Amino acid sequence: MNDAAEARSESSVLIAEEVLGFQRNMTRRGIIFSFTGYISEGILKALGDALRQKIRLESTDTKTVNRVFSVFVEQVQNVIRYSAERIEHDAEPPVELSSGMITVGSENGRFFVICGNVIGRKDADTLAVRLRELAGMDSDELRRFYKEKLREPPDEGSKGGSIGLIEIARRASEPIQFDFQHLSDAQSYFVLKAYI
Amino acid sequence: MAFVETIEHEATDRTPTVVFDFAAGQYRLSGESYPEDAANFYGPLTQGLRQAVEDRASGEVEFTVEMIYFNSSTAKALMNMFQILEDGAESGLKVRINWCYHDDDETMQEFGEDFSEDFEHADFRMCPLA
Repeated sequence: MNDAAEARSESSVLIAEEVLGFQRNMTRRGIIFSFTGYISEGILKALGDALRQKIRLESTDTKTVNRVFSVFVEQVQNVIRYSAERIEHDAEPPVELSSGMITVGSENGRFFVICGNVIGRKDADTLAVRLRELAGMDSDELRRFYKEKLREPPDEGSKGGSIGLIEIARRASEPIQFDFQHLSDAQSYFVLKAYI
Repeated sequence: MAFVETIEHEATDRTPTVVFDFAAGQYRLSGESYPEDAANFYGPLTQGLRQAVEDRASGEVEFTVEMIYFNSSTAKALMNMFQILEDGAESGLKVRINWCYHDDDETMQEFGEDFSEDFEHADFRMCPLA
């Protein structure tokens, strides 16, 4: 038995096995990285850089790198804007953190980006209508719809996110998948998955 | 006539290099743009542009965009500035917009084509770079 093995404490016996199992499970699912917790703009930047470097190393063409990056940015900024689990503080500099999950991976040669976060039940209904509408559009229709939305003043309370969803749909290679899980009368868990 | 002072910003992690020389009518945005609060970043630029166009701070306007990537809220901000430029051109100001992009960048080419549709009076030029 080597020193490292002897050094481990009684209570930590299963930690390596558990963590390795967790990591292998993620790898098996094609996950490049997954982040859960409070997301800030700084984290978006750092994860975005890591993502671009990683997929460039896989010698993916520039067009795909750009598409994945764009879907990633819009999804993370949607979590930052719309997550119902958030902390805001008027400190200097101001603190604004939103909780959610972001996962990027590849499956059968295609990249995917998944985001999950808590939202208000009413927002869930509005979002479902918007996403169903987008799912029914082909690429030319999405291109025209994006342009149309750019000309309009933003929807009340949308903070510009409705154009973000169109951007995701435009860069995705198939209609974006979405789902909701009922949490309470006031809240739902929202998941968006886009393949690029 | 109130002239707006030149606005210059060096590129940051998520914002582009900005040179808005209102008195000379020379405007340039280049790099990447994905600030979460694009309205906050582009607000002063848009206001300055609007005032300069209304005041005819310069005889001609040349507005150059050379972006590698921008997010959807930046697209909205660009649209707002383009509307100001087109309105200015409609009322007689000579306006030229240069939309520069790498010639293999289909996304930026498509954005340029889509933005160009809204210009009738301003001279919107697609400028592919090798």
